[in-house]
Amino acid sequence: MPQMGVSVAEGTVVDWRKQRGDWVEADETICEISTDKIDTEVPSPASGRLIEVLVQVGVTVDVGTTLARIATDARPGEPHSSENDRPTALTRTADAPPPPPVAAPPPAHDPPRAPAARGSAARRYSPVVQRIADEHGVDLDEVEGSGRDGRVQKKDVMAHVQARGGAPPPDEPTMHIESPYRPGAGASLSGPYTPPEGRPLSRMRQSIGEHMKRSLQTAATCTTWIEVDVSRIEIARRQLGITALPLIARCTIGALVEYPLLNAWLEDDTHTVHEQVNLGIAVALGEDGLIVPVVRGAQDLSPEGLSRRIRDLARRARARQLSPDDVRGATFTITNPGQFGSMMATPVISQPQVAILDVEAIVKRPVVVTDAFGEDAIAIRPMVILGLSWDHRALDGAIAARFLASVKKRVESYEA
Amino acid sequence: MTEMTYLRAISDGLRTEMRQDDRVLLMGEDIGVYGGAFKVTDGFIEEFGADRVMDTPLAESGIVGTAVGAAVVGLRPVCEMQFADFVSCGFDQIINVAGKMLYRQGLPVNITVRLPSGGGFSGGPFHSQNPEAWFMHSPGLKVVAPSTAEDAKGLIIASIRDPNPVIYMEHKNLYRREKGEVPEGSYETPFKARVAREGDDLVVITYGAMVHTALEATADLDGASVMVLDLRSLVPLDEEAILGAVHHCSKVVVVDEANQTCAAGAQVSALIAERGFEDLDGPVLRVASPDVPIPFSPPLEAAVLPSVERVREACRQLLEY
Repeated sequence: MPQMGVSVAEGTVVDWRKQRGDWVEADETICEISTDKIDTEVPSPASGRLIEVLVQVGVTVDVGTTLARIATDARPGEPHSSENDRPTALTRTADAPPPPPVAAPPPAHDPPRAPAARGSAARRYSPVVQRIADEHGVDLDEVEGSGRDGRVQKKDVMAHVQARGGAPPPDEPTMHIESPYRPGAGASLSGPYTPPEGRPLSRMRQSIGEHMKRSLQTAATCTTWIEVDVSRIEIARRQLGITALPLIARCTIGALVEYPLLNAWLEDDTHTVHEQVNLGIAVALGEDGLIVPVVRGAQDLSPEGLSRRIRDLARRARARQLSPDDVRGATFTITNPGQFGSMMATPVISQPQVAILDVEAIVKRPVVVTDAFGEDAIAIRPMVILGLSWDHRALDGAIAARFLASVKKRVESYEA
Repeated sequence: MTEMTYLRAISDGLRTEMRQDDRVLLMGEDIGVYGGAFKVTDGFIEEFGADRVMDTPLAESGIVGTAVGAAVVGLRPVCEMQFADFVSCGFDQIINVAGKMLYRQGLPVNITVRLPSGGGFSGGPFHSQNPEAWFMHSPGLKVVAPSTAEDAKGLIIASIRDPNPVIYMEHKNLYRREKGEVPEGSYETPFKARVAREGDDLVVITYGAMVHTALEATADLDGASVMVLDLRSLVPLDEEAILGAVHHCSKVVVVDEANQTCAAGAQVSALIAERGFEDLDGPVLRVASPDVPIPFSPPLEAAVLPSVERVREACRQLLEY
């Protein structure tokens, strides 16, 4: 079980990509694992034949435990001496040395094997096909192409995703949890109700649940709301061709620099106030759960830079390609469920941070505005409610309110 | 709603705006007593008088220059170039004077220059050109090109009201051929693209007369669902609509009637390459006139201008890609 991040002590095998007797190339994915930080694929440490699987799917083991054995003296296509029940002279274990923390996990699909495939027109994919394959973790080698010379077209990969049971990619990247509701055949109204069979909660859900419960037990969580006019953000958003989130994030970062008490960690009695803003952004992973990748050094990024980083992190999160470092070290978190039209929430603080900002739906409302002559008038303005959950152990309501007022001022006076 | 031709819709727009705004006046060659080479201003001199419907000498530079002066003191002149091809004689006044006045002196130049453009009727090299790209390249000007009667009226009104110099491309081949329901009274068509037909498999992006060529070419294309996007405005270019269509369809054919090099479609293609790359499922194909003068000879002209068949062939190629 490889070490995926300093604080990770154990991991669960989710799937074996190779079975006993399969030939495996060095760096080829051998299995998938799940830890409470991240789900990832484990590359094979060596080429050889998989002769023994020691940890079955669903079993959780400590870091450093041997997962499987690979015979490195075997040759592809030939039976290995160990398969005749003779002891092997040379085996290597699959408990790979810990990868360097910054290394990205291996790509979702296998490297090209057949030399004939390389350079042939059939094996080159258009940008949209690659993007969809990435978003849905599709192995393009498995997709049959209907284009010229068997080229894989957008419609082919879409059909493949749909046949596999996935939904087509949403037009706008989803940043939060989807409703689990799916219209289906109505349950019979007569006779006793037979509930469907229950299943064990996924590893990710368990981990999210534990973290959220621990936060509510640990922190003295309070929530404060403020209503903000986002007219200028809407204009800037159209000018820059980005979403409102990075612009609101930019204003929030400005306020965090002004009120560093919100950009802090509280671990027992140790209070750490950060100068650098490492901004966590909640990203939904469909029904599986959510993950909070981190934009490091966000105080130095422009709205366009933030937009690019957030998009990149969200894309890699959905493709399950985040490295442990991508999800570590957040000093403040933004969650953005408002895109589905919700108005208010009481978000739970991600420990050991001391606050989390919730961005709700932007809704046009009649509001009272004051013109240059001091006259009041009713105007139609795009408004949003920002909710801040904060830890009363680390700060008081006055600071939280002044922080929100600072965000509001920055948003309402935003100059692109 | 009244059904009228594209040409009558332009007249209707001009007349509507002249009746409700006495700052609007017309200038051009033979537009008064004769009613214009194409009769767009037929009857105008009787209704509005020779002060507001001015017959000018054969001097495009003088027409535009006078209009710029009139606009600076608060009028809203509409200049007619008898054929778009002749605008080159007024080029300096449009590019260097009208287009730069706001930047240099802070004075808005609210003029509209009407350019009867396009070929398809054996007009030859001086009476068939599509020079919109000349003006797209020069900052300070807006460029619009309606394809329907309704937009022809709405865009001439919007052009007159827009405080910038607007180059209004009116396609001669649509003048009497294109008919449609046109709303009564005054309305503005926004400087935004229009979906001429919805579709999913491929999008044809074009404007002006080529909208109709594209619609005909893809009406029945082996069952494919083809979107046709009518740009309507070339400056400003509706980038959001273009990228939205590319995102939805992933395959793009761009059609210009103009000569290919640096045409409006070249700008559209560059935009897609830059900002729509991750949505593409094939190369961006262009159909345009080759870089040659437009011939007099009917068979040669038909070979040069983008035809229904050429657009259809490009779409087929890309759909199969």
